Amino acid sequence: MTATPALALLRADGVAKRFGDEPAVAGINLDLVAGEIHALVGLNGAGKTTLMRLLLGMVRPDAGHVTLRTDGAPVEVAHVPATAWRAVGHLVETPFTYAELTVTETVRSAARLHGMTADDAGAAAEQVIDELALRHWASRRTRTLSLGNRQRVGLACALVHHPDVLVLDEPTNALDPAGVLLVRRRLLDAAARGAAVLVSSHHLDEMARIADRITVLHRGRVIGSLPPGGTDLERLFFEMVYTAEGVTDEETLAGVTSDRATRDLATSNPATETEVH
Amino acid sequence: MGAALAVEGLKLRKATAARVAAIAIVVVAPAMGAGFLAAARSDIDGPLAAKIAPMLQGTGWTGLMGFVGQILSIGMLLAVGVVVSWSFGREFTDGTFGSLFALPTPRRDVAMAKIVVLVHWGLDVAVTAVALTLVLGMATGLGLPDAAAWSGAGKALVIAVLSVLLAVPLAWFASVFRGYLPGIAALIGTIMVTQVITITGVGAWFPYSAPGMWSGMGGLELAATVTPVQLLLAVPVAVVGAAATVWWWDRAEVV
Repeated sequence: MTATPALALLRADGVAKRFGDEPAVAGINLDLVAGEIHALVGLNGAGKTTLMRLLLGMVRPDAGHVTLRTDGAPVEVAHVPATAWRAVGHLVETPFTYAELTVTETVRSAARLHGMTADDAGAAAEQVIDELALRHWASRRTRTLSLGNRQRVGLACALVHHPDVLVLDEPTNALDPAGVLLVRRRLLDAAARGAAVLVSSHHLDEMARIADRITVLHRGRVIGSLPPGGTDLERLFFEMVYTAEGVTDEETLAGVTSDRATRDLATSNPATETEVH
Repeated sequence: MGAALAVEGLKLRKATAARVAAIAIVVVAPAMGAGFLAAARSDIDGPLAAKIAPMLQGTGWTGLMGFVGQILSIGMLLAVGVVVSWSFGREFTDGTFGSLFALPTPRRDVAMAKIVVLVHWGLDVAVTAVALTLVLGMATGLGLPDAAAWSGAGKALVIAVLSVLLAVPLAWFASVFRGYLPGIAALIGTIMVTQVITITGVGAWFPYSAPGMWSGMGGLELAATVTPVQLLLAVPVAVVGAAATVWWWDRAEVV
């Protein structure tokens, strides 16, 4: 599917970020389009989380621009009016959970902070708790929940205000198969009502089922894209990674990534850009 | 800022740290005051009375309220300081700071709401502790509160409020150093520095020394030298601490 820049709700242009000498993200162009699920895949340390943090203003880029479309025009994320963030929901790494609050209190709190009134927040929290099958734990403090259920609470907090832009970092990594199905349904529903969804995952098969676009990140760069709905994505994915690393098999890759990581990262040029649509 | 106040208020009401700290002040300060006064009265010439005598500034309501004021000057700083450090530092320790980005509720509002809620909670604890002291005073035979009782209660309350305000800058330490332990370390350091400064004679011009000195911890003679201006230095300390914290929260990144 070809992205239409005019419809991009959240967009990165040539974004780069270094941590010390190490380039975490190097010259990435990415856009999130209304009604699309855009998947990010990559090995650990590929830059997926850093890219999502850049998109959400959690870290400031060293180079490039991140813009959020608000009132019809793209605005630099650093200068977006606070109210515009009402349209965004996210779950990046740690879920919005406070040990002393119950599940219901947590989701209501997230709804309030996302700009909903107390009355609306209460009703919306009840709805999303049911949608994510959290009713059984609704009155339990989040400290007593399993990791998977805490992740589901975090997802409920990201979805409760029906955002137009959804950014989720590995939302299914702690979930059981039933939880994965629930998340899949919610993401498809969100895209169906016009939301732009960015989701990272290690589950290539899962991404193949739901994504409209799959972008492959490696060492902070976009190294290609995978065909959504395609088969044998794992082989295609590793071919891209092998090519990027100049190796031919998994065993050599493991050695290369541990031995050459520091040198390669240190010599990377963050100004190099890779366009993906 | 209404949403941030509602959420931070809920978090503080449900927090074990706040409950334990509140109970420690509300129960321990009046109980210690009433207990020590009762012990001194029942053991007039005994060894216990001899040990307690230097801490009491008089008898009856004056003695009780003066002693509770001394306890509150350090107890409130400790209790509120720990809870302030926890409230701000836990967002980093628990990893929830990132969840407070990309929201229509700005992080500066969240930080300001935390400060407002914490100061409000500190004032509630202070009022409750002083009120309970009045009740315990009556229960232990001091009779209905007289002018000395109300005057002492007012002074104890002012001391407690000043200590609450002096705890506010710990929010900055817990934020900048991203954890509640750095905030608590700053609290311990502040208390140590206060002791040293008080001994060296700079005394009441150091904002953290003034309430304790005024409470009579260094004796009634020293307490009489403390001026209102010296006591009110706690206000700019709190304002600067709050402003620096809000400014930092507005600009901080996730690391």
